Amino acid sequence: MRELFNDILSMEGVKGLMLFSFTGDLVFTEFNHGGLEEIENRNWSLFIESLAGMREADLIFEKGRLYIRRTDMGYLVVLIGPFVPIAMMRLQCDILLPSLIPTKKTKGIRRFFKK
Amino acid sequence: MIKNVLLVDDDHEMLLALKEGFMKYRDSFSVQLASDGFKAVESLKKSVISLVVTDLKMPGMDGFELLVHIMEYYPDIPVIIITGYSTPEMEHLAREGGAVGYIAKPFLIENLARQIMTTLRKESEGGTLHNVSSGIFLQLVEMEQKTCTIRLDDKFTGKKGILFFHEGELLDARANDLQGEDAAYEIFSWDQVNLSIQNGCALKEKRIHSEMQHLILEAARRKDEDTRAPAPPTVMEEVEPFESDPAAFIKSLKEKIESNVGPACGLEDIYQDDSWDSRVFQISATGKYLNFGKLVLGYIDKGDVNDYIVLPGEKTTVIAVNPKCPRDKLLQILTI
Repeated sequence: MRELFNDILSMEGVKGLMLFSFTGDLVFTEFNHGGLEEIENRNWSLFIESLAGMREADLIFEKGRLYIRRTDMGYLVVLIGPFVPIAMMRLQCDILLPSLIPTKKTKGIRRFFKK
Repeated sequence: MIKNVLLVDDDHEMLLALKEGFMKYRDSFSVQLASDGFKAVESLKKSVISLVVTDLKMPGMDGFELLVHIMEYYPDIPVIIITGYSTPEMEHLAREGGAVGYIAKPFLIENLARQIMTTLRKESEGGTLHNVSSGIFLQLVEMEQKTCTIRLDDKFTGKKGILFFHEGELLDARANDLQGEDAAYEIFSWDQVNLSIQNGCALKEKRIHSEMQHLILEAARRKDEDTRAPAPPTVMEEVEPFESDPAAFIKSLKEKIESNVGPACGLEDIYQDDSWDSRVFQISATGKYLNFGKLVLGYIDKGDVNDYIVLPGEKTTVIAVNPKCPRDKLLQILTI
């Protein structure tokens, strides 16, 4: 999956990215310079709930920025430094997001449910 | 109020399938997963769960043992049994043990979802209220001598709690891993809550022996003490109001935008809106976790006619802008 996000991760100032399901499960994470402690055990559901209804968000903090895009799978959260060209980031996401479509499962689930 | 449903099954694939299938009901309920009875007991201690769906055959603590545990310690939580080894005797035993539903595998996920939602609806049959002061409302329950179960969400932290009343008497409380009076103190310290009322009270045992008035006063005293103690600042404390006079602040913002960007700034409206406060709180908390410091502002596109720039403060200030506004220029000006 990393290859899919290579263009975003290789942009200057991008610290990492996280892909969440709509229920707050961390589906994928990648950091350029080491991750965060306990990132996978953190309860992200309240944060993801707080994004409900948003298509795009650009959140500016004192020491960093979060660029967030709603996808068909959930939310893509890109961690960036304060000076990343956000227009370029938007463009990269516009290019990437169409490929983030959940695939249909062919095995596994069906055995549990009636057709 | 989004309700938590705990799914318990030792078949990991089954759990994931259910979780994925329930995605489309996420506006009604969220799910937590546990792979056996012991893990379910832990989840019940830590979270406020509204309903449990459990398999029967599991290693360690099986579904029947879990059902007995829930009926003893959480009689307010309905349980739905799902099993791949269904017999009439087993169904009889499960229903006699207190299960509200019994479904044999294989089943349609929509049928289970429907049963979950029908059962959950009973949780709020007595109505729901938003942004109320818990102390005042609960004194009314006492005065009216109501028998009910009240579930509360703290508006600012998202914490959940539950109170059990029998004829106006507070029998018990739960909030995360707290129970009894400690849970009541925690719940009564929440200034503004959303709450739902369920008629009736499944709990019979009285675990709280203090008067309501005493509990409310003690909760306020503890909260005051916590505020005075030199504790590390919380996110909410770090979010300082931009301006003490909201009208003057809004006016100065408008002037700042218009003078720097000109008439094509795309400004539609500026107002303060506390319905954004809990979202801003969660976003701020995430920024803190990521070592990004305080939230300065956020630009949000919800697909509405306008986009929004939100500024944290005592109440969130919202700048509604035309989506075609010079966004980067606006953010640059507002972050200075």
